[in-house]
Amino acid sequence: MTVQTTSPSRSGGYLSRPAPSGLADVVEIILDKGIVIDLYVRVSLVGIELLTIDARIVIASVDTYLRFAEATNRLDLGTAEGEGLTEALDKMRESGAAKKTKGALGGVKDALTPGKSDDDEDDEDEERPRKQPARRSSSRSRSSR
Amino acid sequence: MTSVDTDPRTTHGLFVYAVVPADVEPPDVQGVDGAPVTVVRHGRVAAVVGPVDLDRPPARAADLKTYHSVVGTLGEAGPVAPVRFGSILLDEEHVVADVLAPREAELTDLLAALSGRVELTVRARYVEEAVLSEVVAADPVIRDLSNRTRDVPEEVSWSDRVRLGELVAHAVEAKRLAEGDHLLALLLPFAVEHRVRRGSGLDHLLEVALLVDEGEQAALEEQLEGYAEAVHERILVSLTGPLPPYDFVGDV
Repeated sequence: MTVQTTSPSRSGGYLSRPAPSGLADVVEIILDKGIVIDLYVRVSLVGIELLTIDARIVIASVDTYLRFAEATNRLDLGTAEGEGLTEALDKMRESGAAKKTKGALGGVKDALTPGKSDDDEDDEDEERPRKQPARRSSSRSRSSR
Repeated sequence: MTSVDTDPRTTHGLFVYAVVPADVEPPDVQGVDGAPVTVVRHGRVAAVVGPVDLDRPPARAADLKTYHSVVGTLGEAGPVAPVRFGSILLDEEHVVADVLAPREAELTDLLAALSGRVELTVRARYVEEAVLSEVVAADPVIRDLSNRTRDVPEEVSWSDRVRLGELVAHAVEAKRLAEGDHLLALLLPFAVEHRVRRGSGLDHLLEVALLVDEGEQAALEEQLEGYAEAVHERILVSLTGPLPPYDFVGDV
């Protein structure tokens, strides 16, 4: 059995291959898992209660609904005004393509202008679309506790 | 079952990392507090353990990572059944008498079932903006409520907002049920066992741990890559692992 312990094997295409490295990742992977040894024979199960960080939250509360409403109302008015799914997706595709073009042009400009590397971040976002949602979801679980 | 020795002079216990087949040699890794890791054998199974000071402060962040690394190292060599993090027994006699001896048969079966298999975790999340746009576009009532509450202070539009959020939650949940089942159906042919995890958040679509034959891993990855490409504008897919089979030993 080969087991991934540190670095990701590779990151190809649209499927992201994150390597669990941070404490939260490790907690997520191991918490409440594994063979259970009878409570009465083990000396202790050390401090595990302290480690339920970012515990999964059930969606059912008014607060959650307000948050969803807020998210819905934050939508770009253009896409929210009742146009069809296809148009909305087209629009997103266009804006994605526009960003890519800008990135490519920026890339050329960077190559010609030593010392400037602003566009590197844009490129990274294009390639790793999951970064932003991941951040969003963690801030959300914090704020809803 | 033997009872726990409560002798106050007892200062050390054994941190139990995992159960492995009896022929496994102690791995060359440092355990909790930098202590060496040893093996306690009984019949066809063995427990991988390391000394731990009972007076030390409770679980520290480093301990979790150490545990994960010990179990991971064992997993590289062969089947491993992780023991729940933080399980500490008094001494080798207790490890044998309370764990290995009474459960030798089931642990042997478990290890056989895990042999040549790894755990992979698939997580799919909606692109929030995309799924919300779909929901708004599909339902005139949601659209209307959104327009009505958008530029109105929350105090004034509170009940409309709650209603809007509720409708959005239900609409996304309906999508999630259909699309989560669809994705799961794509994955299951590659898995020996699976555990769907409960998720949260508006963008949650599916999170599932899969026990996969090592030979199936590449095919699964290819299938997922195809799916991820097809849906990438509205769904983000990640694959974690191979990992030790943490999710597939809990029932023992």
